[in-house]
Amino acid sequence: MTSAADTRTGPYLELFAGRGAGGPVGARRQQAIERFEAAGFPGSRDEEWRQTNLGPILRARPVAASGRALGDGGALPFLYPDCDSMVFVNGRYAPAASSPPEGVTAFSLADPAGAGSELLAEHLGASVDGRASCSADAGVHPFAALNTALFEDGVALGIPAGTALERPIQVLWLSAPSADAAAGDNGAPASMEVSFPRLLVVAAENSQASVIETFAAADPAAGGYFVCPAAEFVCGAGSVVRHTRLQADAAGAFHIGFQHARLDRAAAFDSSSLAFGGALVRNDTVALLDGEGADCTLDGLYVLDGSQFTGNHMRVEHRQPHTTSHQLYKGVLDGQARSVFNGRIYVHQAAQKTDAKQTNRNLLLSKAALANSNPQLEIFADDVRCTHGSTIGRLDEDALFYLRARGIGFEEAHGMLVHAFAREVTDKATFEPLRRDLEARLFASLNGGRSNGQGG
Amino acid sequence: MLRVSDLHAKVEEQEILKGVDLEVGAGEVHAVMGPNGSGKSTLAQVLAGKEDYEITAGSLELDGEDLQEMAPEERAHAGLFLAFQYPVEIPGVGNSYFLKAAVNANRKARGESELDAMDFLKLLRERATLVDVDEALLRRPVNDGFSGGEKKRNEILQMAVLEPRLAVLDETDSGLDIDALKTVAAGVNALRAENRAFVVITHYQRLLNYIVPDHVHVLLDGRIVRSGGSELAHELEEKGYGGFDGARAEA
Ligand SMILES: Nc1ncnc2c1ncn2[C@@H]1O[C@H](COP(=O)(O)OP(=O)(O)OP(=O)(O)O)[C@@H](O)[C@H]1O
Ligand SMILES: [Mg+2]
Repeated sequence: MTSAADTRTGPYLELFAGRGAGGPVGARRQQAIERFEAAGFPGSRDEEWRQTNLGPILRARPVAASGRALGDGGALPFLYPDCDSMVFVNGRYAPAASSPPEGVTAFSLADPAGAGSELLAEHLGASVDGRASCSADAGVHPFAALNTALFEDGVALGIPAGTALERPIQVLWLSAPSADAAAGDNGAPASMEVSFPRLLVVAAENSQASVIETFAAADPAAGGYFVCPAAEFVCGAGSVVRHTRLQADAAGAFHIGFQHARLDRAAAFDSSSLAFGGALVRNDTVALLDGEGADCTLDGLYVLDGSQFTGNHMRVEHRQPHTTSHQLYKGVLDGQARSVFNGRIYVHQAAQKTDAKQTNRNLLLSKAALANSNPQLEIFADDVRCTHGSTIGRLDEDALFYLRARGIGFEEAHGMLVHAFAREVTDKATFEPLRRDLEARLFASLNGGRSNGQGG
Repeated sequence: MLRVSDLHAKVEEQEILKGVDLEVGAGEVHAVMGPNGSGKSTLAQVLAGKEDYEITAGSLELDGEDLQEMAPEERAHAGLFLAFQYPVEIPGVGNSYFLKAAVNANRKARGESELDAMDFLKLLRERATLVDVDEALLRRPVNDGFSGGEKKRNEILQMAVLEPRLAVLDETDSGLDIDALKTVAAGVNALRAENRAFVVITHYQRLLNYIVPDHVHVLLDGRIVRSGGSELAHELEEKGYGGFDGARAEA
């Protein structure tokens, strides 16, 4: 290992050394840190990572985010009505701000009551460490491994067989970095508070649940912090799991997330990823369709401005016959924003009658914005239907003129058209408070980003 | 009301309008006829403020105000309306939402109070009935997947809702069956008023049986080569545009 690698991985290994590998998943933590140490951080030649500039994260010294108390009602602006909630501040459970669901297993990973849970022993980290993936190039995901090794707290949800939750469960991951994060070269922070939120959802046979994750900063003007979450979904036979991942971090935040879903026979997993905030955001999603008739829907929207970067890297593996996957990712990019969509669909030889569809559409609002879209289909079965499409386009000038010719001002017409583009994704939110929140965020980001649009 | 003088416009280095003169007074209906490619839509789009066209000479005035100084939305606020020859499909924007945004943008610009949902709906229903637009079309995205005839009716509905002072109808009659043509004409005639004017661009005498123009102009190769009364439309119907070559040479 080069000394450069040492200076980068070293501080993370120290965080681990200071904490140890106890608890029901101690062995997995130990294994994860060893894998991380062996693999190191990805280099610029790593195909999956070369378009993600990890520099600012790796140059900053990681400081474990401390569990900070929230003022009264500090979480309220982020919580939806009519749903259960579990609130975490800097990755630690805040019971006073939470109202956890009843009738299901729901506990904080740091809560000793859950420490012995079979749920954790059986599932936590089982997929992230690569064991459950047989794709040749699955490799080790260094940030997922880091999360397993270093998470301090998080949520485990166990939905009993045959149980359908009526209300969504909102998991709020609030970052509240201390104000004294020192600035380093080029304005990039010299040190950053880092948290490792961890979510485990185990939906037993024929159960039904909806989980909304919200990533936000207590203070939207907060400086650089690093949030490195991992989520695992174990979708039992016939279960229906809905998942929403709203990423609304502070403008200076770094966010590298990993999520993994394994679907058993006839399970349905429907996940929406909506990215608005952060300086650099990366989401890696792995879905394993591991039982006949399993069906997954992966939707995403990223709305970027300034010098924001968002990368979505998908890997959908069809491992059994009659499995379906639908991906729809849409991006709106203004300023000098950049995005990468890497969509890999892997159809195993056994997965006959696979139906896979992948769509990535990007709307560029400025000349300097840049979107990359790379579909990768690897198909080893012969009787399948796989389609993919990607587009990178600009606003329809004719439509803009049409609206303006009816008296609608440039700004409003522009907003209407961008909204029309994005709503294909946001309209899928059936939980009304969430859909309204998404609309509001969409409009807020459009208005914030209009200063450098085309003149009217 | 509208005064177009010696208007020259080009697109991609190609001159399309080569000195158009047109004067439209309040309460008048003008028909502009001419063969394909003669510049009729270009004239209409230039009036509405489409940026693709560069005005190289001449002037455009609405009520004495220089249209060239105004953004497309400002022209609409001033009372100009263009029914597009090819209405644009806008997936994702609901038709009635769009109409409400348009009505209120105009009201706001004119210093009037915005209509609330109830009042707007009342207005919309009333006008939709007037121009025979099916309510189902109001719930769909703007022009998205509309048939040719539905698109044209939707243009007339917008006109009826926005109540412009000067409406330019660019081949609103093409692609319409006779019943649709009659409703479109009825919509226009219902709006006819002393303080309103219409410029009706058409290929066919047919529409002019229902909307009787005060003046008819022949646009040929970027110039108005002849103007006359409504009888000119009949003449064109019989003889075609061939007879105007000489006129063009003279002009
Ligand atoms: N945006 C453009 N780019 C290039 N050429 C154009 C453009 N708009 C118009 N033209 C050209 O200008 C000429 C006049 O077009 P215009 O659409 O004004 O004709 P028109 O009289 O409306 O014809 P029609 O009866 O077929 O509707 C045509 O030769 C057309 O090809
Ligand atoms: Mg035309």
